[in-house]
Amino acid sequence: MSALRVLVLGAQQFVGRRLCATLRATDWASCLGDEPAFDERNATALSDALGACDAIVNAVQGSPAQISSAAQSLYELAGPLAARPRIVHLSSMTVYGSAVGDVDENSALRADLGDYSTAQLAAERRAAAYPNCVVLRPGCEYGPECPDWSVRIARLLIARRLGDLGAAGDGYCNLIYLDDLLGSILSALRRPEIAGQAFNLAMPQPPTWNEYFALFAKALGAVPLRRIEQRRLQLETKVLAPPLRIAEIVARGLRLPGRTPAVLSPSLRRTCEHEIRLDSSKARRLLGMQSMTLETGLARAAQSFTAGG
Amino acid sequence: MMHIANELPENSILTADICIVGAGAAGIVIALQLIDAGLEVILLESGQIGPSDQAQALYAGEVTDEHLHSPPHRYRQRRFGGTTTIWGGRCMPFDAIDFAARDYVADSGWPFTLQELLPFYPQANQLCEAGQFAYTVESAFDHPLRPMIDHFECRNFTTNTLERFSCPTDFGARYGKKLRSARNVRVLLDATVTALHLNESGQRVVAASVQSLGGRRFSVQAGQFILATGGLEVARLLLASSDVQRSGLGNAHDVVGRYYMCHIAGTIGAIRIERPLHAVWHGYDISDEGVYCRRRLALRPEVQRAQGIGNFIARLHHPRITDPAHRNAVLSLLFLSRPLIPYEYAKRLHGDERSSLRAWAKHIGNVVTGPFDAMAFAWHMLKDRRLAERKFPSIIIKSKANLYSIDYHAEQQPNPNSRVTLTQHRDPMGVPRINVDWRYTRGDVDTVTRSLALLREEFKQGGAGTLHYDPATVEFEMTRYGAYGGHHIGTARMGTDPRSSVTDADCRVHGIDNLYVAGSATFPTSSQANPTLTIVALALRLAARLKQASARGAGFGTVPT
Ligand SMILES: Cc1cc2nc3c(=O)[nH]c(=O)nc-3n(C[C@H](O)[C@H](O)[C@H](O)COP(=O)(O)OP(=O)(O)OC[C@H]3O[C@@H](n4cnc5c(N)ncnc54)[C@H](O)[C@@H]3O)c2cc1C
Repeated sequence: MSALRVLVLGAQQFVGRRLCATLRATDWASCLGDEPAFDERNATALSDALGACDAIVNAVQGSPAQISSAAQSLYELAGPLAARPRIVHLSSMTVYGSAVGDVDENSALRADLGDYSTAQLAAERRAAAYPNCVVLRPGCEYGPECPDWSVRIARLLIARRLGDLGAAGDGYCNLIYLDDLLGSILSALRRPEIAGQAFNLAMPQPPTWNEYFALFAKALGAVPLRRIEQRRLQLETKVLAPPLRIAEIVARGLRLPGRTPAVLSPSLRRTCEHEIRLDSSKARRLLGMQSMTLETGLARAAQSFTAGG
Repeated sequence: MMHIANELPENSILTADICIVGAGAAGIVIALQLIDAGLEVILLESGQIGPSDQAQALYAGEVTDEHLHSPPHRYRQRRFGGTTTIWGGRCMPFDAIDFAARDYVADSGWPFTLQELLPFYPQANQLCEAGQFAYTVESAFDHPLRPMIDHFECRNFTTNTLERFSCPTDFGARYGKKLRSARNVRVLLDATVTALHLNESGQRVVAASVQSLGGRRFSVQAGQFILATGGLEVARLLLASSDVQRSGLGNAHDVVGRYYMCHIAGTIGAIRIERPLHAVWHGYDISDEGVYCRRRLALRPEVQRAQGIGNFIARLHHPRITDPAHRNAVLSLLFLSRPLIPYEYAKRLHGDERSSLRAWAKHIGNVVTGPFDAMAFAWHMLKDRRLAERKFPSIIIKSKANLYSIDYHAEQQPNPNSRVTLTQHRDPMGVPRINVDWRYTRGDVDTVTRSLALLREEFKQGGAGTLHYDPATVEFEMTRYGAYGGHHIGTARMGTDPRSSVTDADCRVHGIDNLYVAGSATFPTSSQANPTLTIVALALRLAARLKQASARGAGFGTVPT
């Protein structure tokens, strides 16, 4: 049997890169899309790539504009394809917007958390119009080198800029270990019967953000945990975040060596308060999604962070 | 949802499955547990967000002996969050011995053992924001701690148990948002319950009469009622609700309001520890979760039994602040900042005694001769206490001469003659005010006297130093500031026999199917431990019982007629 040729969009980004490596490690798939010459934003290149693959994973992450334009080009070009290759579309739990409590795939999609959530929902709507698509809505990816929910958090914890947030950290931390996410994507590529369905991806019984920070800080040796006052949180998110974000962009643009301090953004703060709990039982049932134990996942994330700095 | 009662239409009748009266630690915790439990809940709170003189005045009452007990409007708060808006946050569970019937402590014994509360303590600890439920050095820390006193072996006291400190968490501020956004919980502020009414058979509460400060009256009918109004106010409401049972609710045997306990606490003596300075550590250790923890000298249970005395713990403490002879700039600074310290804390820090001009001058002298110490201390208090959300819990002064006093906290034994009763006077809502007649017993004096003697012996034998105090002054010192403020215990005690208790082991008032009490009023004995962690654990237990009962159905939420 010949290998399933999987085109990964967003292969230069963290999840896409990892996905390519995972696909290559299988004995049933090969990976396209991470060749340096390939530019998925170029319509001709994308069209050629779509013609040369058996399945696609849309793992494009980034700004609302990047998400929208990637989805637009993908589904416009994939629509007319006669072969109807499977597309696994990586969305986000932000499509549920400000919903609280236990949320499964039938819950209303409010996408009322700003441009990012609106863009994700718009992209999902395009995906839904394509007949052989599976939508995955992961929570927060964590694990070795995961930039947002492990590396950034580790840096903030070590700097004692994050810690016990009191009421501001009572939200649920819908973690998904990176390998579990990748495993679910692989599974979604190979199950024809789930076409047209959406899946939440997160660990069962997620901790609160306060619990997550306490456990991760302990794994990192960043203890004692610091109580972060409301006043300080305001200062971080309202006063420090904008210039730090600019510094980050400038440093990246100029390819400056070294790292700018991590940003504690208003959206991170909002996420930490948000009492939404993803119900992923469907993914466990139909995708065979695995769940790494939090203890092991955090130990690995911490070990990798400490080793890599 | 959260509303102000004064905005309700006059004479409204509200209905719910469960009506909780009082939004302090106990009431808030029960309401939190009932979020999304499939039950309609009303939480009635007499106060509002923030202090109000008018609401606080509803707590006013009388005391039989002003020297022995502070006025009833002190040491409690009539506002959303209750007294947790000012508490100190010291947490520790009760000890196994506290639950036992001890033949040398009259009327001791709980209707269950410590095992019954163990499943609830860890969550209680979290709700109090006191970290994990680990109360020994060994279980709380994965690295060795410096000893309290190096090479000090104790036979009669343990030195490895901890007290852990809450932020201190104001339960209203911390959990108000959760309650506000809960769909099945209605919080009503400025809603003072003035009486509970029974049906004719006297077996069920049918309604609570409620009033706002603005005079709006309404009533709440519910399937179950929970009184969570604090140890003194529980007795007041039970006694004042006398329309069907003349002696008050659950008071057929004249037990409501009796057995009133606080704790016996004080500071005494002087001890110079015969060790190098670095070999003594009486301050806080910080756990990995960032929680302040402190070790104590705890009287071993087998010694309590052998001596026939109550539970007792002690800590090394700074010398008495009021006496400038300590020549410590920081202590004198504290003395001079007396007007800035709230009454509840100033009382034990400074006492009520008036100091002479000479003493004031000496205190000023102490500050002037140690200005850098005083400034460093002021900065520490500003940074780590005033501005911090997790506050440095208390004043710790490292003595350069290794000179300390002994600060102790002891069990007060149950005494039926120590009691809360109603007076002829009524508050503006027509509810009779209370009189507090707090009394201690010989047994209480014995607990402190013998424990101190054992401690003195212990220091001597261990070669750690000589504890000097005058045994003849023990009783005077232990009552110098009267009953320990803020711990109001035993006025609706749990038990199996209605002749000597008010509630059963489920905290349900004997003889009334749907009335429960939450809080330290139900504790049959007082332990050495501060009460709030156990109040919260019991509240969690009660909430779990109510949820189980509602799952069984059986007319649980039915509004009685
Ligand atoms: C200065 C101080 C320091 C303390 N430090 C500690 C400590 O370190 N550790 C510790 O364990 N404990 C401490 N305590 C005790 C602690 O505050 C109490 O144990 C705890 O608050 C009791 O909780 P509760 O819910 O039973 O009562 P409360 O917190 O007093 O709440 C009762 C609530 O009921 C409301 N209420 C009263 N009557 C009515 C009515 N008729 N209708 C409607 N609502 C009503 C009140 O407004 C209040 O909100 C301290 C207390 C004080 C004063």
